[in-house]
Amino acid sequence: MLLSALVLTAACSNSDPGIPTEDFEGTGKGVFVLCEGNFNAGNSTLSYYNPVSKEVRNGVFQRANGGAKLGDTGQSIQLHGGLAYVAVENSGIIWALDTASFKVRGQLTTGQTEHMINPRYIHFLSDEKAYVTDLYSPYITVFNPRTMAYRGSISTRQEASFGYNSTEQMVQWGKRVFTNCWSYSNKILVIDTERDEVCDSIVLSSWQPKSMAVDARGKLWVITDGGYEMDAESFGDNIPHLYRIDAETLTVEMDQALDTDEGNVVVAMNPAGTVLYLINNDVYRMDITASHVPVRPFIEAPRNANGRRHYLYAIGVNPHNGDLYVADAVDYRQSGVVYRYDEDGTLLDQFRVGITPNCFAFK
Amino acid sequence: MRRFILLFLLLCGGAQLSFVHCQLSMDMDEVQVTAPRRLRDTGLQQTVLDTAILHQNVALSMSDILTQHSTLFIKSYGRATESTAEFRGTSPSHTQVMWNGMKINSPMLGTVDFSTIPSYFVDQANLLHGASSLTLTGGGLGGAVDLHTQPLFNQGYALQYIQGIGSFKTYDQFLRFTYGNERWSTSTRVAYSTSDNDFKYTNYDKIGHPKERNRSGYFDDVHVMQDVYYNAPRNNRVGTMLWYSHSLRGLPFLSVDYKDNTDFRNEHGQDALRAVLSWDKTFDRWNMGVRTGYAWHNIAYDYYTTRETVNTDITHSRTRSQQVYVQAEADWMPRANWLLTADATVYYNHVRSSDKSPFHIGDNYNLGRPEYNLSLSAKYRPVRNLSLSAIVREECYRRDFVPVIPALFVEYMIHRPWNLVVKASVARNYRYPSMDDLYYKPGGNPDLKPEKGITYDGGVEFSIQHKRYMLKGNLSAFDSHISDWILWTPNAKGYWQPSNLKKVHNYGVEMMASAEVKMKHQWRLSLTGNYAFTPSINKSDQLEDNDASYGKQLVYVPRHSTNLSGCLMWRTWSLRYQWTHYSERFTTTSNEVSYITGRLKPYFMNDIALEKTFRWRRVHASLKGVVNNLFNSEYVTVLSRPMAGRNFEIFLELKPQWK
Repeated sequence: MLLSALVLTAACSNSDPGIPTEDFEGTGKGVFVLCEGNFNAGNSTLSYYNPVSKEVRNGVFQRANGGAKLGDTGQSIQLHGGLAYVAVENSGIIWALDTASFKVRGQLTTGQTEHMINPRYIHFLSDEKAYVTDLYSPYITVFNPRTMAYRGSISTRQEASFGYNSTEQMVQWGKRVFTNCWSYSNKILVIDTERDEVCDSIVLSSWQPKSMAVDARGKLWVITDGGYEMDAESFGDNIPHLYRIDAETLTVEMDQALDTDEGNVVVAMNPAGTVLYLINNDVYRMDITASHVPVRPFIEAPRNANGRRHYLYAIGVNPHNGDLYVADAVDYRQSGVVYRYDEDGTLLDQFRVGITPNCFAFK
Repeated sequence: MRRFILLFLLLCGGAQLSFVHCQLSMDMDEVQVTAPRRLRDTGLQQTVLDTAILHQNVALSMSDILTQHSTLFIKSYGRATESTAEFRGTSPSHTQVMWNGMKINSPMLGTVDFSTIPSYFVDQANLLHGASSLTLTGGGLGGAVDLHTQPLFNQGYALQYIQGIGSFKTYDQFLRFTYGNERWSTSTRVAYSTSDNDFKYTNYDKIGHPKERNRSGYFDDVHVMQDVYYNAPRNNRVGTMLWYSHSLRGLPFLSVDYKDNTDFRNEHGQDALRAVLSWDKTFDRWNMGVRTGYAWHNIAYDYYTTRETVNTDITHSRTRSQQVYVQAEADWMPRANWLLTADATVYYNHVRSSDKSPFHIGDNYNLGRPEYNLSLSAKYRPVRNLSLSAIVREECYRRDFVPVIPALFVEYMIHRPWNLVVKASVARNYRYPSMDDLYYKPGGNPDLKPEKGITYDGGVEFSIQHKRYMLKGNLSAFDSHISDWILWTPNAKGYWQPSNLKKVHNYGVEMMASAEVKMKHQWRLSLTGNYAFTPSINKSDQLEDNDASYGKQLVYVPRHSTNLSGCLMWRTWSLRYQWTHYSERFTTTSNEVSYITGRLKPYFMNDIALEKTFRWRRVHASLKGVVNNLFNSEYVTVLSRPMAGRNFEIFLELKPQWK
């Protein structure tokens, strides 16, 4: 019996020695959905959705690249010049992928740079220059997206807040790039893109600015998660705020406290830059000229029988037709669900993706 | 017919389970004795691991022993990494662990890292499955592990030194000095293990499948244990046990980590001191004992960059915990067929925990918590073959009482020559929240209720002794419902929060069997096996409409686990073979397998050891060679955590002879 067991298992390995590489043709105006997975599990994945055929393909990075994994905690995805750039935070890597075949065309790792630690978001200034923010590093990394070569870094010139120096999302107005400092901070930094240096900052009344968008009039919309209300050493009050800031004068024009959030807080802009969408438990829609967030949500988060809301985690607006994509992380340990609505809030489709969908990119 | 049944039992045991003693030839003349059934053990589902199993290899920890010789599932990702034990598909916090009577579950987490317990520092381990754990303590919704050191009276002087040298610059050293006369027994043990643990592996998680080394997997562990027992006049025994350990371990990088390990340090350090003082007194009809103990832990976790320009802490965590324990127990046998016991235990835990991470800075909490346990039991044998047992427990933490915990056990001896016994039990059990569950900032939930379980057990066991062979087996089925299961789930801000979320239905079968055969010309063969079938099904209400986890197997819990050991001995030679298997495990609550990271494929492991002993006049010695992962399997037991391929270690053991 022992012998037969040995024979049976002698050649058994449970690793996955390279699944066959699939050839994809991700044609059309498809949508990438980045799923961050679970921290320290290395199960971040990338999905690709075709809005015309309503076909979704999950795990396309792994399937197109011989079983290689995307990494641990995929944070953001941006498209530029026919490539998709994915920042995988806890793996310390930025991938450049072909947007049709999903094959890897280049990469930038922590070790290739001087200061990068955990890359979060990427912002393209040209075909040869892009910024990368970081959860831990007090520097913004600059690289060439065409060659994936490291070009340098920009000091944030900020004193560490509670020991941390984080930079998060980036938006551009004119020659200025704005980046929010999320971890233990209440600042927006202003970067002069010609001199590649931080030239100014905006201090907010609420802690932890989480998400940003810029509208057609040059107004910066910032939502905070409010930090934490815990003890004397902690900071914040757990109350999110929405700000409208003039990108030229850096003046805060609007500051509205929102409901304490059970899910994520995110903002996104419609293609024309005239309508702001935000997640604050439910999905709200407001004209950029409005003075406050509407009382009634645009789309109510679905509720289960006992009234619990679905935890909405991410939002994206298709720049080609204004369709709204909203991600539901469910329990963060199973495949999440993406809802697709039209501009009027009519549900067009819903589909399963990977674990914890957190970012959309539109071809 | 009887031969047929014996053959069936032997094959059944050999095929599905087995637990084996690979005794050395110097021990081969020992006679196996089947102990009469004790009233104290009425109805218990128990696995006993003795020194023959525990002391087979100085490089092994209790996590390895439990993996290879029990039905427990050990979640681990390599040597010297956190290893937790789960009975019957429950969670690690549902396994209560005692060391010489004192509970050693972390007061913060409620779990025990079995990789920090060298198996050479334990002389006997009793695994109490399901309701049987209530004979020891409450809260073991899965079961309990009872670890003991044992005195060596009348053994004289003995010295033992073992030197191990293995792959990846692994060095294991073990020294033990013992002395025992009629009155005194003393034992001093020291173990020191160190390794770079930088094994090579093919990284299938990266493009091109590069050959890489395990990075930051080093460890440096020291353990010192002293125990002294004194047999005082008038049937008094006093004992003291002291165990200090210091451990510094790198936390291995994920297979998908592209950072340069020279730029980062990610390590876990721990100092621990445990001490127990005991006094036992035996009278004609009753016994009593008093124990007191103290445990201290100082735990550090650091993850930081060492790059000059961005030198920053990513995570910096410090925890200091202290535990004081006092216990009094008494047994009374008013008549030969009655046993009454009472046990009162008080623990006081104090924890100071602080950290610095992107989610929190400062004290997580700095609190003390008393815990009180009271247990009464009655065991009764109304007729020769029938035994009954009832236990009632009451537990209290802070000022909160958990409901009364009752348990009933029954067993009946069907056939005495085979020690064929059927047994059954039913019990309710509660596990109160750990201190992290209640107080940890951010996320701790002071409104948590105790987890509640109800368990039904039934089984049969036998033990057949013959001049040339021995056969033992145990088969049990269980059905368990746990509600208000405390589950930590991530939230949108990135940290985790506990709540009484889950209802879980655990059911299944556990089997254990062993066979030992003495053959001609001093050949001896033993086989041992364990098998567990443990569906562990989520029965919680759906979190929301999209929640597909209802009716699914819990994450990382295998439905089938099997291990098989074989030992062939001839004169001074012994050959041991170990085979371990876990069925596939799911990494998502919805058990999806549509993408590759949704499951871990079945796991098979083969290890082999060959040992030769020498019995010279002034010294006994042995030389052992071990091959782990014999077939060089490439595998993971946790996502993105590659394990070592085939690796080797040789051990030289010396035992000076004083006579």
